[in-house]
Amino acid sequence: MGDFTMFNGLTGYILLASLLFGIGAIGFLTRRNTLILFMCVELMLNAVNLMLVAFSHFRADMAGQVMVLFIYAVAAAEVAVGLAILIALFRHVGSVDVTRFDALRW
Amino acid sequence: MDPYFIVFFIMALGAAIFMITAKDALPSALGLLTVFIALSALYLHLSAPLVAIFQVSIYAGAILVLIVFVIMLLTVPSERFQLFQRNMSYRIMGAVLGALMTALLAIGLKGVKDIIYKREIPEGFGHPHLFGDFLFRDYLLHFEVASVLLLVALIGAIYLSKKKA
Repeated sequence: MGDFTMFNGLTGYILLASLLFGIGAIGFLTRRNTLILFMCVELMLNAVNLMLVAFSHFRADMAGQVMVLFIYAVAAAEVAVGLAILIALFRHVGSVDVTRFDALRW
Repeated sequence: MDPYFIVFFIMALGAAIFMITAKDALPSALGLLTVFIALSALYLHLSAPLVAIFQVSIYAGAILVLIVFVIMLLTVPSERFQLFQRNMSYRIMGAVLGALMTALLAIGLKGVKDIIYKREIPEGFGHPHLFGDFLFRDYLLHFEVASVLLLVALIGAIYLSKKKA
């Protein structure tokens, strides 16, 4: 197994996946454009995929790669329904600014 | 130090940061595309060629094209709003929560040493043959449930985007 240094082997992949997930979370919580919020969710899903594939490689277990396929299915379903909701919202409000979607607020 | 990993690490990270700081949605989508490509390159390195192909064809192909289509439909040129949440507490809380989440995940680095018990990759690992074997033998029920989920999403999307009479 050898020495376990930074940016080597699994550690680097976990670091990259954590950073991508964190960037996605920060973007989701701070941006105002709904389309960009969507893309941030996709980024977080991709970070999880990277983590699964990395663990699958370093544990020599195929199950991680198969799980990624199911995440793809869920992501595709989420994008299809989410973008349809977004189009319906846009027809209703006429904007993609999240702060304008406040009919159910308080 | 693996130069291949370093190159795509920087590519994915830079594109992700560009994605959340870009002014408009379209440059942001192109940043997301760059992240997808970089990740698919890393999947090739992680002995997952089939996942790399899925990454390019499903994410960079189907999902991103769908997002770009919706950007084309929904972007009003005259509409101008602030990039980030106006509310200061939103921004601070967002940054703090994101940083905490990253830190929490990165703390997991410590326990990683014990998790890797098998460093040797067996012959033919990641081959589509082995992948299909796993998918259709051990995960057949999950596969069927995923197909039902996609059907439900399809019907829901059609219903939602239909114009109400």
